[in-house]
Amino acid sequence: MKVQHTDETVEVYDLGGLDASNSVQFRDQVRASMKASERFIEIDLSATTFLDSNGLGALIALHKTTCSRNGLVRLVNPTPPIQQILELTRMHRIFEVVKR
Amino acid sequence: MVPSPLQTNDGHSLDVAFRCDYAEVRLALEAITSFLRLHRLTDDEVMGCELALAEGCNNAVRYTDAAGREERVRVRVLCTDARVTFWIHDHTPGFEWPAEVSLPEGDSENGRGLFLMTSLMEEVHYFRGRHENILYLVRTRGAPAGSERSDRVESADELRRRISENDQIITDMAEELSFCYESLAAIFRHSADQGNGSTKADFARRLLIDLIQIIAADWYVLRLLPESGGVLNFLVASETFFSDQPINFPKAGGTNNSVEVEAAIVRQNVWFDQHRPLLLEDPLGRIKPGASGVVHPIFFGERLMGTLVLGRNLNRIPFTAGQLNVVGTFSDFLAIQFVNAEIQETLIHSKLNERELDIARGIQQSLILRELPSAHGIELIGHCESARQVGGDFYDVIECGGGQLLLVIADVMGKGVPAAMFAAILRSLFRAMPRGEVRPSQLLIQANRLLYRDLSAVDMFITVQVLHVDGVTRRLRVANAGHCPALVAAGGSALAQALAPEGLPLGVLEDAEYSDQEATLTPGARLLAYTDGLVETRNPAGDLFGYERLGEWLATKTRNGSSVQSMKQELIAELTRFQRSDVLQDDQTFLILAG
Repeated sequence: MKVQHTDETVEVYDLGGLDASNSVQFRDQVRASMKASERFIEIDLSATTFLDSNGLGALIALHKTTCSRNGLVRLVNPTPPIQQILELTRMHRIFEVVKR
Repeated sequence: MVPSPLQTNDGHSLDVAFRCDYAEVRLALEAITSFLRLHRLTDDEVMGCELALAEGCNNAVRYTDAAGREERVRVRVLCTDARVTFWIHDHTPGFEWPAEVSLPEGDSENGRGLFLMTSLMEEVHYFRGRHENILYLVRTRGAPAGSERSDRVESADELRRRISENDQIITDMAEELSFCYESLAAIFRHSADQGNGSTKADFARRLLIDLIQIIAADWYVLRLLPESGGVLNFLVASETFFSDQPINFPKAGGTNNSVEVEAAIVRQNVWFDQHRPLLLEDPLGRIKPGASGVVHPIFFGERLMGTLVLGRNLNRIPFTAGQLNVVGTFSDFLAIQFVNAEIQETLIHSKLNERELDIARGIQQSLILRELPSAHGIELIGHCESARQVGGDFYDVIECGGGQLLLVIADVMGKGVPAAMFAAILRSLFRAMPRGEVRPSQLLIQANRLLYRDLSAVDMFITVQVLHVDGVTRRLRVANAGHCPALVAAGGSALAQALAPEGLPLGVLEDAEYSDQEATLTPGARLLAYTDGLVETRNPAGDLFGYERLGEWLATKTRNGSSVQSMKQELIAELTRFQRSDVLQDDQTFLILAG
C-alpha cells in the first residue's frame, strides 16, 4: 500500500486484498497518515483483488473519520468483482465510487 | 513442523485443515480457489465462493475460545458438475443463526458477513454441535464449460461394464468382511436377492432386519434421497408407526428439526442420545422420544443415496465403533445394490428399445417388393433406405389387370413401430381396394376415412401419392395427400413437370377431398415419385438438393434415355455426391418409371 497527499486529500493506492488479516492495520495506517488539514480520502481499488466484510468495515471506519472532518471517502476504479460486492452490500450508497 | 494448511485432494473433493489464524485462512482460500478453477468454475463463481468462505472461515477464527484454538478449522469442498458444497467445521462456542439475515445500518462497521454468505450461496445452514459446529454452504453451478452432458445416454456395454465393476466391489467387500464380522452370511444371503425380482423395499427390509440383530439395535428407518435432492423419501422402517411422509430440507436460513436431514446435509453420522435428545418437532422424535442412536448417510462414491437411522429405545448404551463399522458396510452394500438395480432398469429399457427397432425394421422390410411388376413395356424400379432409425417410408406397386398399375408412395410421419405399423396398414388398405378402372382420388378419400380416427388418436399423419398408370393408353392419373409432387419428363423435353394436385395428408381432416390430375406418358418419358428425404438432402454449406435440381437431373437422364436400373444407381450416387458423405441424413425412397 502506498500513500500520497494532494491538497486536502490523502490518496491511497497499490492496495491488494483487504480482508480480516490486514483490514485493521490498513485502517490505522490511513488514519495515521492523515494530516490535520486533510478531510478527503481517495482509495484506488484498481489493484484490489479481494474485499470481504472486514475490509468493508475498515472502509466504513475511514468514512466516519472523514465525516467528522466534513469530508468523504472516494473509491476509485474498482474492478468489476469489487464493484459487484460494493453494490451487493449497498456500499455504493455510502461512498462516492468513481471511474477515471 | 507440520506444514499448514493440511490438504487432501481426491479429485472431486478437497479437505483443508488450518490453524486459527487469519493469515492461514488466506492460504487455505488460495488452495480452495485453485481447486475450484481446476474444476472449471467461472471467475464469478470462484469469487462468490471465495468471499463466502472467507466470511465463514474468519468467523471460525475470530470466535474461537482458548480451548478451541488448539484445534484446526477444517474445510471440506465437494465439486460436482451441478454444484459446489462446502462444510466448514469450527470449534467456537457457536451462535444462534438469526431467523432473518439482513444488511446492518449503513455506517455499521460489522455484521455483513452472514449477509454476504446468504447472498452469494444458494444454501446456507449452520449446525451447532457439542464439540464442533458445521457451516454448510452450497453454490449451484452454471453449465460447465466444455464438459460433457451429465445426462448422456450410456451404451449397453458401458452399463454392463459398470455392473461388472460394482460386482467386483461387492466381492472385495465381502472378502474383507469374512475376517471381521458375522454379517458375511447375511450379505451373501441377500446379494442374490436383488436379482430375483424383489423390490428395493423388500430387499432393504430383509437386509436391515439382519443388521439390527447383528448390532443389537431396536429399530431402523431408511429414507432415500432422489437425484433432484432437497427431500428424504421414506422407503422402509422396522415399525409401522414411523412416518412415511417425505421430509423436506429447510429453505436457506430456515430451521431444521430433523436429524435425518442434518445427516444428509452434513454428510456425516449424526448421533442422538440423552445429551442431544431428538426434538419433539423431529419426525423421529415424535415416535421415539428419549431414544438413542445414529443417523448414517448412505453413499455410492460421492453420491448421497439416503439416510439410515438405527436406534435403541430408552436407557441403552450407544453403539460401539465395531457396530458402527458393520452399519457402514451394510450401507455400502445397500447403496451398491440400489445403483445396480438402477443400471439393470436402464439396461432393460435399452434392450426393449433395441427390440422395438428390430420389430419395426422387420415390418418395413416386409413391405418392400422384391420384384416390381411391369405392364406393356412400362418398366419400374424402386429404392427405399432408412437413415439412422426405422422410418415410415414405403412404396408399393399393385397390378390391377388389363395392363394397369397402381403406384403408391407414402411417408408416415413418425419413427419406430407405430410408423411401421401404419405403413403396413395403409399398404394392406390399398391392396384390398377394388382393382380395375380406379380413381386415385377416391382411394385416398376412402383410406383417409378409414384411418382418420386411428391416426389422429396418436397425432400422426401420412403423406401419400397414388398414381394410376394405364399401360395400354399410356394415360396417367395422379392424386396427392400432402406428398411431394411426382416429376415426369417427356422424352424430348428439357424440363420435368410436377404432378401435384392439392390434398391434405391422411389423418388431418376426416372428410378431406382429393382430386385427380391426368397426364400422358409419351414414348421415352420417365417418371419419378419420391419422399421428401431426397429434396431435403443438404450439402455441407447447408443448401438443399431441392426440386429444381431433382427436376433437371430427371430431364437430363430422360433425354439420354437412361435405363431405370442405371437411373436408380445414378440418383443414389448424385445424392451422395451432393451431401459429400455416404452417411444418410434422412430416409431415401423413390420409384422410377420408364414409359
